[in-house]
Amino acid sequence: MLYLQLFLSFLKIGFLGFGGGMAIISLIQQEVLRYGWATEQEFVDMVAISQVTPGPIGMNCATYVGYTAGGVWGSLLASAGIVLPSLLIMTVVCRLYDRIRNRWQDNKVFIWVMRIVRCMVVLLIAHAAVTLMTPASFPDAASWIIFGVVFVCSILPVFVPSAPGTRLRRTLDAVSHPIYIILFFGAAGLVKYFL
Amino acid sequence: MNANKPQLGTLFLTYLKIGTFTIGGGYAMLALVQREVVDKYHWLDEKEFLNMMALAQAAPGLIAVNSAIFLGHRLCGWRGVAACVAGAVLPSVVVILLIAMFFSQYKSLPAVEAVFKFIRPAVVALIAATVVRLAKHIR
Repeated sequence: MLYLQLFLSFLKIGFLGFGGGMAIISLIQQEVLRYGWATEQEFVDMVAISQVTPGPIGMNCATYVGYTAGGVWGSLLASAGIVLPSLLIMTVVCRLYDRIRNRWQDNKVFIWVMRIVRCMVVLLIAHAAVTLMTPASFPDAASWIIFGVVFVCSILPVFVPSAPGTRLRRTLDAVSHPIYIILFFGAAGLVKYFL
Repeated sequence: MNANKPQLGTLFLTYLKIGTFTIGGGYAMLALVQREVVDKYHWLDEKEFLNMMALAQAAPGLIAVNSAIFLGHRLCGWRGVAACVAGAVLPSVVVILLIAMFFSQYKSLPAVEAVFKFIRPAVVALIAATVVRLAKHIR
């Protein structure tokens, strides 16, 4: 029964979870508290760990809650439950989008609608960046220096013209690479801790 | 439609990489997805990338998973969907299971906190920079 309940709860969350990670966390919280899979404090810790580990927050949180409630099988069922609705809905959305795009791609209204949509997506990303500038993530001046350095490095390739294959291009690619940046600052944090 | 149809293995590995370095949720992976999907492999142009993000956000579910489904479907049909979703989800499940089983005190380790104190502002900066990188492709 526990397994079935876990699967169904996360299936429901997958269907109703509009707005991505953090919106989904609050849905998971409701189910966790309703069925007593964890205490509120335990759940807060799970969310914190979900935020600092690899992978999408919602996915991490689902796996964690599933494991806490029902061990390895619980975690697999919770993960499957949250992904399944996406698989169904996104596949239909993709089909529809491909069809609409093929038929209407020269249509002025369609072009303008998609333009407005893209504009809103960029604004949403900007909003996410501003929302994440919390005192918890930016406790001191060093945080803002890191922010500034990474921001400048990341936008360098946009403003510095470089031809493909040149050394300049390779350098720009390296300093703006998200993986290198995360590894570098993770290592820097560790070095500072041990010094 | 797509001149360069990727191999399923490439798709899987690419999303495995994206899943592994997505720290902090859907928006945090934007920079890396753009890097791999647009700049490196040219599977989508910037405009289609933004359209994909719009659909991935509008549909219910996790943005990271939804975008993986869009890309997999566009490039290789249902096999592509399976490869991308498996790649996006696998790091989460494996890492969280390991932590939940063996390192439940993980979060309170001061060394881990020191690492993430430096990574958090870097991730926010990567998201902010994505705005600048994509803004000129809205039209």
